[in-house]
Formats: sequence, C-alpha cells, structure tokens
Amino acid sequence: MKRSILILACSITGFSIIITAILIHLAAYWNFSERIKREAVVELGYLREAVELSGPEYLDSLRHGATDPRVSLIAEDGSVLYDSTGKAAEMENHADRPEIKAAFADGTGEGTRFSETMRKQTYYYAVLLRDGSVLRIACTTDSVFASLGWMILLTLGIVAAVFCAVAWMSSRAAQRIVEPLGRLNLDLPEENAAYMELSPLLSGIRRQNDRIAEQLAEMRKKQLEFSAISESMREGLIVLDGEARVVSCNRSALNLLHAHFTGSENVLTLRRDEPFRHAVDRALDGVPSETMLFAEGRHLQMIANPISDGGDTQGAVIMLLDVTEREDREKLRREFSANVSHELKTPLTAISGYAEILSNGVASGEDAPRFARIIYAEAQRLIALVNDILMLSNLDEGGRERAKERIDLRGMAEEAAQRAGEDAGKRGISVAFDGESAEILGIRRVLDEMLSNLLDNAIKYNVDDGRVELSVKKTHEGVALTVADTGIGIPREEQERVFERFYRAEKSRNKSAGGTGLGLSIVKHGAQLHGAKIDLQSEEKGGTRITLTFPEAH
Amino acid sequence: MRDSYRKQLEALHVSLIRMGAFCEEAIAKAVKALLDEDPSLAQEVAQAEKEIDLMEREIEAFCLRLLLREQPVAGDLRQITAAQRMITDMERIGDQAADIAELSVFMVGSPVKSDIRIGDMARATVKMLSDSVDSFVGDDLEKARGVIAYDDVVDDLFDEIKNELIALIAKDGSAGGACLDLLMIAKYLERIGDHATNIAEWVDYSITGNRGNEV
Repeated sequence: MKRSILILACSITGFSIIITAILIHLAAYWNFSERIKREAVVELGYLREAVELSGPEYLDSLRHGATDPRVSLIAEDGSVLYDSTGKAAEMENHADRPEIKAAFADGTGEGTRFSETMRKQTYYYAVLLRDGSVLRIACTTDSVFASLGWMILLTLGIVAAVFCAVAWMSSRAAQRIVEPLGRLNLDLPEENAAYMELSPLLSGIRRQNDRIAEQLAEMRKKQLEFSAISESMREGLIVLDGEARVVSCNRSALNLLHAHFTGSENVLTLRRDEPFRHAVDRALDGVPSETMLFAEGRHLQMIANPISDGGDTQGAVIMLLDVTEREDREKLRREFSANVSHELKTPLTAISGYAEILSNGVASGEDAPRFARIIYAEAQRLIALVNDILMLSNLDEGGRERAKERIDLRGMAEEAAQRAGEDAGKRGISVAFDGESAEILGIRRVLDEMLSNLLDNAIKYNVDDGRVELSVKKTHEGVALTVADTGIGIPREEQERVFERFYRAEKSRNKSAGGTGLGLSIVKHGAQLHGAKIDLQSEEKGGTRITLTFPEAH
Repeated sequence: MRDSYRKQLEALHVSLIRMGAFCEEAIAKAVKALLDEDPSLAQEVAQAEKEIDLMEREIEAFCLRLLLREQPVAGDLRQITAAQRMITDMERIGDQAADIAELSVFMVGSPVKSDIRIGDMARATVKMLSDSVDSFVGDDLEKARGVIAYDDVVDDLFDEIKNELIALIAKDGSAGGACLDLLMIAKYLERIGDHATNIAEWVDYSITGNRGNEV
C-alpha cells in the first residue's frame, strides 16, 4: 500500500512538472516571437522613412556586416540591390520569396523560415517603397525546438530535485496513512477509529469473526464429544489418514498395544507385525478386514475399516477389542467338551464290549454275572458323571438365579459326615465331626453336593485306617467349614489345578479310585455361588485340609 | 518443497520400520522352523529374504536420491546415513535367517537340539532384534543402549553352547554332524545379535551424533 501511494504521488508530481514546464515554455516563446515581430515592423518603418527621404544611399551609411537584424533592398525584378551582410552581388534572385511576393502585391509581406538544422528561425518583414523596390528586414532567433532542448534539461533537473522531495514527503504521508491500518484490532473490528471509509469492511470482518467463532465452538464441542466417547471406551480406537498417519488414537488403543504415541506418526510406530500391517494396508486399499493380534499375553481382535468419500479411500478406522477372556472361555469350553466326550466314551466302550460278549452268548456260565457286574459298575460311573456334568452346567447357568434359604450348616454337615462314615468304615477310616450351630444363606442341594464331594475325596484319597475330620466354626471372617484328612495329599505344583474340570492329580489317577474328576470343580463353583472363599492346604503324604469360609447369615 | 522433503524423510522412516518388521518375522520364522521342526516355514523365510534384499536396494536408492536432491544437513543427514548403514545390517540379518531356516531342514528329528540351550539363544536374539527395531521406531536411546549391553548375554550363550557341543561330541561321535550344524546356527544367531547391536548403535548415532566407540 505504501509503495503504491509513493508511486502514485511521484508520478503525478513528475507528470505535472513536465506538462507545466512545456506550457510555460510555449507561452514564453510565443510572447517572445510576437515582440520580435513587432520590433521588426517598427524598425523597418524607420528604415523606410529614411530610405525614402534620403534615397537608397542611406543604407550604405549603416554598418556593414550586420546579420541581425539583416536589411536587404530588392529591386522590382527580384535582384538584391543591397544587403547588410555586404554580399548583395552574390545573392540569387529573391522574387519568389513569399514575403517579397506579398510586398509587391499588397505593400507589406511577412514570413518565417527555419534554418536547415531547425535550431534557428528567421522572421522576415518586407515593405514596398515608393520607387517600386522592396525593403526587407530579417530577425533571426533560436527556434522553438532549440529553446525546448535546454528547457528539457532544465525541466529534468527540476523534476529530479522535486522528485526526491516528493518521494520523501509522500513516503512520510504514506506512512501516516497506513499506520492506523497496522494498528487495527481485527478481533474487535468495530471499535477501531481509523478511517470512516473502512467501516463497511470492518463490520464485514466482525460478521465473519462471529461466524468463525461460532463454527469453532461447534467444532470444539464435537471434538470434546468425540474424545469423551473415545477416551472412555474400553475398546481401542485408531483413526488413520490416507498415508497411514495416526490422526487420533485413544488411550485404550495405546494400552492394548503397549505403545507410546508422541504426535502425528505413522501407524507402524504403534505396531508393525505382519497381520497388523496387512490389515492396515488392506483398509487403506478400501477393503475392510478383521484379524486377531496377540500382544503381551492378550488376544486382540482388530477390525480395520476404510473411510471412503465417494470411492476414494481417505483413511481408515481401526478398532481393537480385548477378547482374551472370550478366547479363554472358548478354549475352556472346547477342552471341556473334548474331556466330557472322552470321559463318557470310556465307560460306554466297556459297557458296549461286555454287552456284545453277553449277547453273542460266548460268555461261559460263571463269566456272565461278572460281566454284568462290570456293566453295572460302568453304568453307575456314567450316571455319576452325567449327574456331575448336569450339576456343573446347572451351577454355570441357572445357579445364580435360584433363591437362597437360611440353612444351619452344622446340621447339614453332621448328616453328611454320618453318611460318609458308613462307607469309610469299610476301610477303617474314621470320620469325626465337631461343630457349632451357624446359619448361612445357601442352596441346600448345592451345599449337600459340595459336602459329599469334599468328604468323598477325603475318604477316597486317604490311607487305610486314616482319619477324616469335619468341622463347622464361626470365625471373624464368617462360617468356616473345614474338611481335613490324613491322606496322600496333593503335590504343591498341582494344588493350583485340582479345581479345574477333569483335572486329576497324578496320584489319584494311578490309584484308579474312580471319581469323575469334576468333584472339586463342583465345590469351587458352589463356593462361588455362595460367595465363599476356598483355602487349600496340603502336603504330599501329609494330608489335605480344605476350608470353605461362608459369609454368615444375619 | 520443504514439506515434500519432510514427507520423504517420514517415508524413509516408515520403510525402515517395514524392513525391520520383515527381519523380525524372518528370524522368528527361522527359529520356529528350527524349534518346532516345521520345514514349510523354511520356504517362507527364503521368500522373505528375497523381499528384504529388494527392500534394501529400494531404500538405498531412496537415500541417495534424498542426499543428492535435498542436500540434508545435521540431524537429517545423520538420519539418512544411519538408515543407509542400518539396511545393510538388516539385509545381513535376512540372509542369516535364511541360512538358519535352511539348516533347520536338516535338523528335523535330531534330538541334539533339545540337549543344548539353542532355544534360549534364539529367543534372546529375537528379543535383541525386536528391541533394536523398537528403539529405532521410538527414537529410544535407552532401549538402544539396552540392546548394546544385551549383546554380551547372547555372546555368553554362544560360548556356552559351543562348550556343550564339544562335550556332546566327545561323548558321542555319531552326533557330530548335527552338532556342527547347530554350531553354525548358533554362530548365525550370534552374528544376528551383532547386527542388532549395530542397528542400536546407529540409532544412538542418529540421535546423539556420536559413534558408540567415541563416547
């Protein structure tokens, strides 16, 4: 802006100086030539009077050699009779000169002629004398072009000087004009008092400011909403641009990938293994995909979807879900059904085999009852197994919804101990009970099952003539039900696993003591259902003590 | 102009990460081929090795282009020089992974490897490489120095395996062939460890401007 003000001021000034100079010069020149003409006319008047009074000889008394003014006397035939330059004899005939012609015709004549270089101009004035000859005077001055020459130089000098002055002044002026503009506060455009002419612009700016502020607030709100949603999500969310740079990435995603994010980086800095790369590449190619990742012991389901805007892929959205528990459950379920089929198949094979022998009639007389006993025993095992499985799936699914009642644990435990005592007696194992009355909230059938499983194990894995102690006691933590035996014990490394379904400690397997491998699993689920804690203390060959602590009913 | 330069530097970084990831996968597969006796993986490693070679050439050309066209200075120059050196190390890692995979085919059914700590050494090497690429990805000086220090562990494991193999040969000469193959594998692993160390040293250099031995 300053520059254009400067240029404008300087060119206006320069232009006006030049035009003014030319006009003044032309006016002065015109004035000057008019004066010369007048002087020539006056002078020739005097000369004519003198020549007519004293004859052409008067001219000889004038000084010779004068060229300005130059005086000539021309005869009627055009020949030069006298010339003040003194070279009359050498001169050519003047009859065709316009001023001479005019003088012969009208009595006076004038004319202006330029020299060859145009630098000089001569003004001629001629009068007819009474004797028929013509007297002419010629005044030579610089022509308009010659005077213009030095005039231009002078003008340019003035222009240069004025120009400098104007440049300096207009720069100051421009500065002063522009300065208030620089101080404009565009945040509050209408409070500026710079120029009135600017007020439409400034109010336009204010309207725009308002609109921008509105849009910005709207965007900020949306951003806030987005981050509130994405940050509180348990799932990982990563948004990528078309060049695989991370546009947004929530905390869960970083936690799930165990990565750090420091800014706009390529997504490969978060994770770079093949399935991840492949899914990202495919999503950016416009193909949605799903894959499983494994990160630090967790299973992650990765869903990558392209973001497309009418055909072109603009980026991708990646969702990460921690499906470790689902995978684990799935694995457990697979194992469980594999185990169940295996456990069911073993007795069935035996039953089917012996039944086949019996039906073929190959069994001899004394073998038949033995085979029948085996079939019976295996069928019993099958029934027990199916019962246990039903119990477990019952606990798994419907268990939680069943209503609990107040139960005196002492009564139940005493009953169970009595029942178990009958079987135990055959192996010389004593079952002792000791307890105080304690009420808990529970499901009778489940508690009964738990108790009989615990006692079963205590007897089954006991030594001959061993002891089993069952006790119910109130402690500060709740009601403690303890089953202790003097049996073979569980090795330390297996203690963690005995509550798993179908898991059997090495020793129990060897002993072929029967059982389904589900007993302790039922105990564990039952305990969970009752909110009870399980504590297992065991030493190899030193017996086992299992304590269930139930919350007391109030 | 500068914007496109930044983009190119970023592209260089990403292609190095890709190449590093390829190396990690190649060595992981080679080790799996050896330990799980899965010869089909050996084929995949050979394929990966070819791709790694290709990547090396591409990145090399890319670096040269960057150097000539953009005339980088200071940190950028260091980053590009370090990249040029790193891809050489990565390419060697790819070769050695392929060598291990190739030898693993002959080791199928050989009981010798369960007697020595080759599995431990393989896992240690994979971890070293993975950490060195991690340190590059995150410009993580601490991790890079961790890798450099961890090289001693792999070197010690190599010595241990060597002694175990000597003892095995002394006891039972018939296992000599398998023992020698295993020694080769151990040596390759040890070399991979050295290359991982190099990568970590280049990371150190590109961050600090100091070569490891000058510090």
